[in-house]
Amino acid sequence: MALLQRTDWYDLARTTNWTPRYVKESELFPPEMSGDMGIPVAEWEKYDEPYKQTYPEYVKVQREKDAGAYSVKAALERSKMFENADPGWLSVLKAHYGAIARAEYAAASAEARMARFARAPGQRNMATLGMMDEIRHGQIQLFFPHELCPKDRQFDWAFKAYDTNEWGAIAARHMFDDMMNTRSAVGVGLMLTFAFETGFTNMQFLGLAADAAEAGDWTFANLISSVQTDESRHAQIGGPLVPILVANGKKAEAQRMVDVAFWRSWKLFSVLTGPIMDYYTPLAHRKQSFKEFMLEWIVAQFERAMLDLGLDKPWYWDQFLEELDDQHHGMHLGVWFWRPTVWWNPAAGVGPAERKWLEEKYPGWNERWGRQWDVIIDNLVAGKRELTYPETLPVICNMCNLPINTAPDKVADHPLQYKGRWYHFCSEGCKWCFEQEPERYAGHMTLVDRFLAGMIQPMDLGGGLKYMGLAPGEIGDDAHGYAWVEAYRDRVKSAA
Amino acid sequence: MALFPLTSKFQGDFVLQLLPVDTDFSMDQVAAAAAHHSVGRRVAPRPKHVMRVRRQGANEPLPRTMKVAESGLQPMECIEVYFEPPSR
Repeated sequence: MALLQRTDWYDLARTTNWTPRYVKESELFPPEMSGDMGIPVAEWEKYDEPYKQTYPEYVKVQREKDAGAYSVKAALERSKMFENADPGWLSVLKAHYGAIARAEYAAASAEARMARFARAPGQRNMATLGMMDEIRHGQIQLFFPHELCPKDRQFDWAFKAYDTNEWGAIAARHMFDDMMNTRSAVGVGLMLTFAFETGFTNMQFLGLAADAAEAGDWTFANLISSVQTDESRHAQIGGPLVPILVANGKKAEAQRMVDVAFWRSWKLFSVLTGPIMDYYTPLAHRKQSFKEFMLEWIVAQFERAMLDLGLDKPWYWDQFLEELDDQHHGMHLGVWFWRPTVWWNPAAGVGPAERKWLEEKYPGWNERWGRQWDVIIDNLVAGKRELTYPETLPVICNMCNLPINTAPDKVADHPLQYKGRWYHFCSEGCKWCFEQEPERYAGHMTLVDRFLAGMIQPMDLGGGLKYMGLAPGEIGDDAHGYAWVEAYRDRVKSAA
Repeated sequence: MALFPLTSKFQGDFVLQLLPVDTDFSMDQVAAAAAHHSVGRRVAPRPKHVMRVRRQGANEPLPRTMKVAESGLQPMECIEVYFEPPSR
């Protein structure tokens, strides 16, 4: 007997809405979980996923993907990648795994919420596969770094980071809790899959895959390419929701959720991916600057996607574009200066050749950023390393939970008083996110709030590191052991 | 006399920093405390300049001898610390 083509039965097979008899519709799909905004179910049934896949197809393809990634890993286990890689590249791996691996599990939970509570059957079907994607991503991105733990315990942070109060982990958790763990099926679809995944995971996974291949780390290149093939499928869950929301008078709500998630994602990627692409990846292996990558893969594509679906560009678009010139340079300088507080060893990436590249890619870099690095370099050349460490905390934004920083002529506090408490934000964008739903965010304390409340004892660097869970052997230091400073020492000698 | 936290925005520096001061500190002492965390770390020293303190966004500095307790500054309010040219 001939089998029907998938196209002949798919639509019928995923028509899984029914009329409940023993419970009310609102009990089966509580509005706070479905996020249906009162739109009739018949409207949600118009949802048409652009990427159709059945469970048997999914299992077959995923099995092949896993077999590919794991076999490359097995084949290259004796390749001495760890021993031979530039220390800056190892920092890329550590930062990536710590920030991403456990968040994948949160994403699985978010996908599960869509799989159960979405009113659109097609969304539930895609999210079921998306949920399994994210479980795979969590597992594979914990398994791969695990073998490196005996060689370097900073790799233990692939698992550990999200259980700590390390500042970067607080920032990542705050954002992912916001868009993954505390939103409805519609909210997750718009914020996680459309804004975050369509907008940004391309960057972390495609951009890094290119850099990994250049750096000769085929295991990692293969791993994250494998992850990205899933992302590019389930990232399409959110898009088809937008026309339904727009057609039913909920454009403003959709726009707001997308705008909040995009802004928040930008901030997190500016601290995670910006330094990785423009400073940690060895110069010879860089494919594009962070800004070039953002403009090509994020700005152009995401802007078009928003307009095509009937949304507008976010109100902050011009400010966002302006931030592409500076924000990640400040994040990088801050991470390097406060380097004992991270679980990887930041590569300074400011040797003479790197600075030439930075000035080419970001005209004016030396004026805005090089001047500050010059003071640091002078101290290192003069043997005053103690002056290259902080003696206080940066003030932390109450939304992105990252240090309030950018180019010296632009950095500013954006304060807001809410119910008698002052909140401090790094930007109009972060302040605006807070104002959309103040009660959602008002109770949270930044690391500085906790410090001032006496929750971090003793109130010094040692107490801070203990609070953040950073043990000896895990505390970050310059990736190259300050070897890059020698070029400047030689310069001083030759000038003398 | 009590510990009082401010936010320091130092001219030429890229990051806002937590600045613990005392309510008895004069604005000159506040500026010196802020400089400890910026000057010679990421901001080059400017000999002969006087460091002044103003509220974020204000045109005029606070008087150099004014104490924190008299200034009306709120805890964690952002102050700008900047170099005043010697000729002024």
